[in-house]
Amino acid sequence: MLTKRQNLMETIKGGNPDRFVKQYEAFAMMMKTPITRAKPPIGGEIVNEWGVTTRWPEGQLGAFPVHDDEHIVVKDITKWKDTVKAPNVEHPEEDWATAIAEANAVDRTEQYVTAFVAPGIFENVHYLMSMEEALMAFYEEPESMHELIDYLVEYELKLAKEFIDHIHPDAIFHHDDWGSQINSFMSPDMFEEFFVPAYKKIYGYYKENGVELVIHHSDSYGANLVPAMIEMGIDIWQGVMTTNNVPELIKKYGGQITFMGDIDSGVIDFPEWTQENIAEKVETACRRCGKLYFIPGASQGLNISSFPGVYEATDAEIDKMTQEMF
Amino acid sequence: MSKIQEVKEKVEIGKTKLVPGLVQEALDEGNAPGEILQAMVESMSVVGEKFSSGEIFVPEMLIAAKAMSKGVDVLRPLMAGDTSASLGTCIIGTVAGDLHDIGKNLVSMMIESAGFTMVDLGVDVPAEKFVEAVKENENVTLVACSGLLTTTMPALKEAVQTIKASGLDVKVIVGGAPVTPEYATEIGADGFAPDAGSAAVKAKELVA
Repeated sequence: MLTKRQNLMETIKGGNPDRFVKQYEAFAMMMKTPITRAKPPIGGEIVNEWGVTTRWPEGQLGAFPVHDDEHIVVKDITKWKDTVKAPNVEHPEEDWATAIAEANAVDRTEQYVTAFVAPGIFENVHYLMSMEEALMAFYEEPESMHELIDYLVEYELKLAKEFIDHIHPDAIFHHDDWGSQINSFMSPDMFEEFFVPAYKKIYGYYKENGVELVIHHSDSYGANLVPAMIEMGIDIWQGVMTTNNVPELIKKYGGQITFMGDIDSGVIDFPEWTQENIAEKVETACRRCGKLYFIPGASQGLNISSFPGVYEATDAEIDKMTQEMF
Repeated sequence: MSKIQEVKEKVEIGKTKLVPGLVQEALDEGNAPGEILQAMVESMSVVGEKFSSGEIFVPEMLIAAKAMSKGVDVLRPLMAGDTSASLGTCIIGTVAGDLHDIGKNLVSMMIESAGFTMVDLGVDVPAEKFVEAVKENENVTLVACSGLLTTTMPALKEAVQTIKASGLDVKVIVGGAPVTPEYATEIGADGFAPDAGSAAVKAKELVA
């Protein structure tokens, strides 16, 4: 029996996996580093490392940046330098002790020690200035947007260096949502101009420094961005939604990139979830996507579910599909 | 090319800095404000169609709507009290428990560009508040409710049914990622739209 890590590698290289990769099983996520993003508690509010006020209201599935006049960080993109200050990423060694101990405890033949980065460059931009203003600024103030993105990339490279120096990750799991359920937020051309060079630098740096695997999360439509994802160096697109026609993407791009998802969290992960519904969605995904270049899983961007039991129930159904298809 | 034609073209490609001047020039040439407004509404209708078909993306739609809005600013003083071009007032909001406002804002912008006066109730709007807003505002013809999460679908149903049960003479349009045309019908909505461009088309159709 292959290790989880070997099995994932066989899957993404088009080899001979002996079972489906079960969601995030091959990734040991390192969430307790001193440079992991700050997140408000449920019902709470924080000002994050970049000065963005974020709230997680009770009853919601996630946190939201606050973009009223009082809280928005970048009010005028041409003056972003006045208000955007990159957080310090250098921390005393003792602050890394927990993360280093956790990384050392991982059997790296079994799992990838995986560094986690969120929000990504695009998300950071719209956290700082609101989605609408950010998207318009790509047209109206492109030079300032390029400058701001370059600044965020510099920060991410420093972040990467800290991860690499301290926990020597085998993989990076990086969030940046690039679309809605039905389309990418921006055209592939605009994406190519603003984001491909940025991510080529970031993901290139990780790979030059011993990181084997780049997993990128965008739980959205993004089929039109797959060539750009490949160019950036993404090995696995996690969060691929059913609206993308994943079987077609596998046929077209399998071998260059692997697709993780094809089970939309919204249709399995809700308070009245049932095992039968999850079974149906998992079976559909596994049968239509097949054994190679595909990892079945919910589109959720971590190894958790919004409602208790859904993640484990999904794993159980993937095991059943392994028994049927392998 | 006529000035009106130029206004139309520049709105469509989102030339926010040029449109106000062109609208003024169109007025100076003797074109009626209503005629210029109509030309911009038509541009936005093209923009909406292109967005729905995937030909253009959110940034292009946003700058076109902004360009139109700048043009409307020039016309507004000349059209005070003239409601002939208006399709009425549209109340919009996300339903109780749903805080996702980006899609709702895009829909609001496109429905406004189609000729409605918008009253945006924001996010997390209880069902009764939609009803109150219909009563409190003049000439309300449409209510637009959205929900992004599967978990807020019951609140969408409640909003639609509360508005319908109030007996007020308004149409209700719904949308949001988990909403399907079948679900919209099932909960008693008058219309459904899958995206912002289609929402503007459907909104006009519902109040025609």
